[in-house]
Amino acid sequence: MSVTRINVGPIHPSTHGVIRLVVDVDGDTIVNVEPHAGFLHRGVEKLAETRMYMQIPPYTEKLDYVAPMSYDEAYVAAVEAAMGIEVNEKAKYVRTVLLELQRIASHLLGLGTLCNDIGQMFTVFMWTFKDRDIVLDLLQEATGSRMFYVNMRLGGMHAELPPDFAEHAYNTMNYIEKRVSQYETYVEKNTAFMERMRGIGVLSSEDAKALGVAGPVLRASGVNYDARKHSPYYMYDKFHFNPKVMLTGDNFARYKVRMLEMKESVRIVKAALKAMPEGSCLGMPVKLRSPNPVNRTVSVSRELPRGECMMYLVADPQKPYRLSIRSPNMVNLAAIGHIAKGARFADLFGILGTLDIIMGCVDR
Amino acid sequence: MADEIDHGSEEFADARQEMDQLVYDSLKSKEMKPNAMFARLSDLAKSAKMSRTAVTWARKNSLWPLQFGLACCAIELMDFGSSRIDAERKGYLLFRGTPRQCDVMVVAGWVTKSMVPEIKRLYEQMTEPRYVIAFGECATCGGPWWQSYNIVKGIDEVLHVDVYVAGCPPKPENLFAALMKLQKKVGGSIED
Amino acid sequence: MKIDRGQLTNQVSRLKAAGFDYLVKITAVDYVDHLEVLYFVRDIAASKDEILEVTVAPSDAWVPTIMDFHLSADWYERELAEMFGITVKGRATARLFLEKWDGADPPLRKSFVWDAQYRTRDVKK
Repeated sequence: MSVTRINVGPIHPSTHGVIRLVVDVDGDTIVNVEPHAGFLHRGVEKLAETRMYMQIPPYTEKLDYVAPMSYDEAYVAAVEAAMGIEVNEKAKYVRTVLLELQRIASHLLGLGTLCNDIGQMFTVFMWTFKDRDIVLDLLQEATGSRMFYVNMRLGGMHAELPPDFAEHAYNTMNYIEKRVSQYETYVEKNTAFMERMRGIGVLSSEDAKALGVAGPVLRASGVNYDARKHSPYYMYDKFHFNPKVMLTGDNFARYKVRMLEMKESVRIVKAALKAMPEGSCLGMPVKLRSPNPVNRTVSVSRELPRGECMMYLVADPQKPYRLSIRSPNMVNLAAIGHIAKGARFADLFGILGTLDIIMGCVDR
Repeated sequence: MADEIDHGSEEFADARQEMDQLVYDSLKSKEMKPNAMFARLSDLAKSAKMSRTAVTWARKNSLWPLQFGLACCAIELMDFGSSRIDAERKGYLLFRGTPRQCDVMVVAGWVTKSMVPEIKRLYEQMTEPRYVIAFGECATCGGPWWQSYNIVKGIDEVLHVDVYVAGCPPKPENLFAALMKLQKKVGGSIED
Repeated sequence: MKIDRGQLTNQVSRLKAAGFDYLVKITAVDYVDHLEVLYFVRDIAASKDEILEVTVAPSDAWVPTIMDFHLSADWYERELAEMFGITVKGRATARLFLEKWDGADPPLRKSFVWDAQYRTRDVKK
């Protein structure tokens, strides 16, 4: 057995950011994959110790830059827990709606890049980006920005929703629901796609728990854990949220969990828009000094599109003493050595695509 | 959009007129010998004046980019290539994996000290003439990570940059405007 | 639950046998006179979380490895060693994020203070 070492270097056409994967191959079979991260490390946790509380959301947003609002919200929720501030009723609904819209946009991008990696199915990439643009237009209506929103304030949001937002959002959700069903039909009838997804990159549920993977990767291996169900926050409890779990643990299961989650998100957005109360969702303006923390150490779990993020905050009077971020992408990337062992070399990119890793989050 | 194509100074004006006439004639499908246009072009190309214009015109309308997204601005770069703001209609097509065949490198995202040797190597592998667009604030000046211990404060500490785009992230329309400015620069109407 | 460094492996294996088989995060906080290393474990079926806190002196900064019980501890321990300078005994820790680190202190310690350097103005072609 002669082993060749191949360097899938920091810049490679698979659009997942900058990773160096050192792959040991015996013929066409992968013997070992070792990811080297750190090309995007900028010390967010250290920078957070030098900034005041509400100066940090722009930093935490740029961690997972495909679903920035979810990280923003996780951080603001941690600060609110430290200060003992309650989020007002309407803001809970608004946050639910915007977070689920962000989840749809993120999964659409994941699907597009996955299809690009698997078979250069650039058509699906174009379609998902078009749909993602439509959802981002909706988010732009609500927050004012396409990509980095910084719209969470302590106890609420930065501005009210526009009056015709509910109607636009409802129409868009009907459109997205149709499109997701169309994607499933197109993609699952494609033989090339299915051959590269079924039965490849299998991760059993004991291994998934031992490796500590998170998010759709965990749920696709049969482990029923979703932070929205097990430590419910905002309105997920009220709308009977159910985690989507599949048992096979291969590439196809990871892809399918994301499609099912998109449909679930559409359902929750529609229900939340119907049930939204009157009132104001404004939170504390940023100009005021933030109140003194009540709890010194706080840990808050949120379910990001890519997994569970736990923010551990040690709170000082005006700025964090320590902000520790549990990044779901880091554990998913660390698991690739185990998942890709024994697979063919070309399947490495399929596996990487279904793990859906954003490198900004790995190398905080 | 003839007013946007800026071929330069007056001395190329008659050469440009001849070229335009050729294209116009072929579009109007007047009676011409089969290879007449190519024969005419090669005659014109023999004179140095024409070739410089033609080559510059060809170069600036087909700037092929290197697929080089580092971080968040890469998502806007992917959006720039997709259907709403279509980059390919300006000749900015075929995002290549190999730098040998590319003209433009769009540095999208923050540059860390570990990444600098890789970027330099890619830049050296690109064949001349090559251009660099610093896309976003992190590539321009270090961005929000200004005070980080692991960040290079702007890619122009490492490379020569031709066009800067401000924004965090810049909207894809901004990149489109930067591309058109780069085209003007390649055409020679903006001095370095 | 605050425990001693010597009891760490026993506690982790006891918790794992009791069903806490998912490691969420290993992190540390630098209170200047001592370092506190935190292990977050979770029992997914029963939906319970448990935090183990180990206090370590800065001059004697080491913890035993828990990779025998949780495979996910690999990258967390590497990050701990790199960012805080806490040695993890029982395994070799390669650097994770900063392969060429030339600073005196590990980055996340409070003793690491850097000044914002202004950029050089000469443009290299």
